[in-house]
Amino acid sequence: MDAMMIEARYSGKSISLSPKVIEHIKTKGYKKVALYASVQFTQVLEEVIKQVESLGAEVISSKPMRTSERYQLLGCISYKSALRLEEEPDAFLYIGDGAFHPRALVLAQKDEESFKEIIRYDPITGSMSIMGREDCDKIFKKYQASLAKILMSKEIGVIITLKPGQQQFKVSRKLRELFPDKNFYFFATEQLDMSQAEDFNFIEAWINTACPRIGFDDAAEMNVAMANLTDVLKLSTQPTKK
Amino acid sequence: MYDLELDRVITRIKEKGHKMVMIQLPDGLKPKAKHIVDTIRKETGAEAIIWMGSCYGGCDIPFGLEQLGVDFLVQWGHNQYLKEEGWSGEE
Repeated sequence: MDAMMIEARYSGKSISLSPKVIEHIKTKGYKKVALYASVQFTQVLEEVIKQVESLGAEVISSKPMRTSERYQLLGCISYKSALRLEEEPDAFLYIGDGAFHPRALVLAQKDEESFKEIIRYDPITGSMSIMGREDCDKIFKKYQASLAKILMSKEIGVIITLKPGQQQFKVSRKLRELFPDKNFYFFATEQLDMSQAEDFNFIEAWINTACPRIGFDDAAEMNVAMANLTDVLKLSTQPTKK
Repeated sequence: MYDLELDRVITRIKEKGHKMVMIQLPDGLKPKAKHIVDTIRKETGAEAIIWMGSCYGGCDIPFGLEQLGVDFLVQWGHNQYLKEEGWSGEE
């Protein structure tokens, strides 16, 4: 089967930051700003870069994991290392609409001691907003509890998606070796619907191996314990383990 | 405001002789489905089917479409997704 991806790029020639964004960066005195955008805007950032640089700040960025372009942010870039950003910014500047993508930058700072705020700018409406750790408070609280529950539980369900881009069956199979005292049961699905999980009442906690945003955003609304494979694997390497 | 690049889609359909096209749109572009289907049918004569399910990204490609005879999938809103196992790059 033939396939084509169309980015649905912004059709204007360029975009520019509103005076409010400029004022904010100036007031905060940021010297290094990490710039990201949804793919709709990655090609029209020239003016934005100039504007930030004219404030005496350096613009840094990267081509994160799974993306095809520099500056591009995907919703799944919710782990700091996946950003592949080589320097530490004072703040993030995200160009695009909606909260889903920039929230990944909050989630990516889950384990960081010093949090860098995200300046969200929607070039279509011209509106700016700031995201901080508090935007993911509910997610982080539930997530910590879920990780603890997974560590304490013996019977664990591991969710494997059939979506080829998200599927991580191979890495998931490391779990048995890393946690020999636990029983892992693999569950396969095309589109995760946790109401279908209720009947498997022998499962005490779940590990999500599909899109990490399921383990963060969606799991915060679920009444079962669920965390992402990435963090469970990290636990297995921590020195606290016997 | 966003470029749907329908000319590129139509050129490809004509070039390859595709007969059955699946169009997959993220939520924000779903209202454009009528315009896209109408244009494809009018310009190429190919049948165009609208994917009702999710379209979260390049990671989220529907499968089993061959059952319907689909020979061309077009997804809007995302670019090529470079699959790697592991989400943090450290696994």
